[in-house]
Amino acid sequence: MTIEERVADGVLLGRAGKGDEEAFTVLYRRHQAALFRFAVRMTGSAWAAEEIVQDIFMTLVREPKKYDAGRGAVGAFLFGIARNRVMKHLERAPRDISLETDGEDTRIGATVLQDSFTPAAWTEQRERAKHVREAVLELPPEFREAVVLCELEEMSYEEAAQAIGCPIGTVRSRLHRGKALLLAKLELLREVPRRANAGR
Amino acid sequence: MTCEEFERVGWDAERDASLSAEERAAAFAHAADCPACAALEDSWRAAKMELRAFGAATEAAETPSRVEMRLRQEFRTRHRSLRVRRTAVMASWGLAAAAVIFGTVTWINWRNGQRDAQANVSHAGGAQAATRSDAATAAAETLVADNNGGDFTPLPGSMVFDSDDASIVRVRMQRGSLSALGFPVNEERASDWIQVDLLVTDDGLPQAVRLSR
Repeated sequence: MTIEERVADGVLLGRAGKGDEEAFTVLYRRHQAALFRFAVRMTGSAWAAEEIVQDIFMTLVREPKKYDAGRGAVGAFLFGIARNRVMKHLERAPRDISLETDGEDTRIGATVLQDSFTPAAWTEQRERAKHVREAVLELPPEFREAVVLCELEEMSYEEAAQAIGCPIGTVRSRLHRGKALLLAKLELLREVPRRANAGR
Repeated sequence: MTCEEFERVGWDAERDASLSAEERAAAFAHAADCPACAALEDSWRAAKMELRAFGAATEAAETPSRVEMRLRQEFRTRHRSLRVRRTAVMASWGLAAAAVIFGTVTWINWRNGQRDAQANVSHAGGAQAATRSDAATAAAETLVADNNGGDFTPLPGSMVFDSDDASIVRVRMQRGSLSALGFPVNEERASDWIQVDLLVTDDGLPQAVRLSR
């Protein structure tokens, strides 16, 4: 790569639109991981996330003029496409998330704590990660999105609101409902008696 | 703060930046006094840690390299075909422009030719009018001069020919017929009968004329 790392996304996209493959590659490498992470956390499937990321950049290859610099950064534009694709995927195949088996490497959390010291601890942590994954994936998409963005991606409410395209209050209430549901599910998974109104 | 309020906004007071300092302090105070709410807060802390562990496990997740390869392949294909299409469009525009230029030049040349022809006709008309009074004399002189020299006068528009391969045909015709061969004729004597020799080439076309003796 000879293109400097600090070249702005908009410039790279402009060059890519004119056929500069190197600019396109730099742009891809700059954003793919975050988009893949979001997709994998939302769908629970590495295969689906891979397809989603591919779709996002295919859109960029085929219709680079779809991006309007006046409406925000390239990253936000890509995230918007990712979000749409994820929602479509969830609408189309809502049960996909539960079909992956424990043995598959495509399962999120498969790489969890490979440096754990004992097999027992590793197994326990793996089991806990599995429970959390299941609990997150069982959340309704809009709550899941708020939890993924604010708790896993560690975005602020403002950033999450900008990414989702809704008011901060909405993010806050979705996050609260999502966390309550998540807590209820995790408590349930741990077989600990939960508060009667948790998750309501 | 009541338990209901705590459940609504208090149990993640540490993280919730939208809470005011007073609300946060009230949440902490309530958790310190209410064991049920404190348990809820503890549960959330534990859940949050698990969530963080889950987040950390997926933190290093990256799109497989095959996706980059596929995308680059698609990019190359797309831009190569775009380049070809652009070249084809440019070539068509170039050809169209060349055709227009060629047409324009041809039309201008044709128009200039027409104008010249009209000018020649009017010039010839004027000259004819000016010389009408002695046209017969001039024609006679020309032909007579040629005749005297024993040479044929080439007909207008005739090709270069070899007189050895041509034959001489003597014909009797009215003087006015000479105008059909492109010679000026005195109209007053157009009905006179004259005898001329035509030099006819192999293809049967007369190439030259002379007044026979």
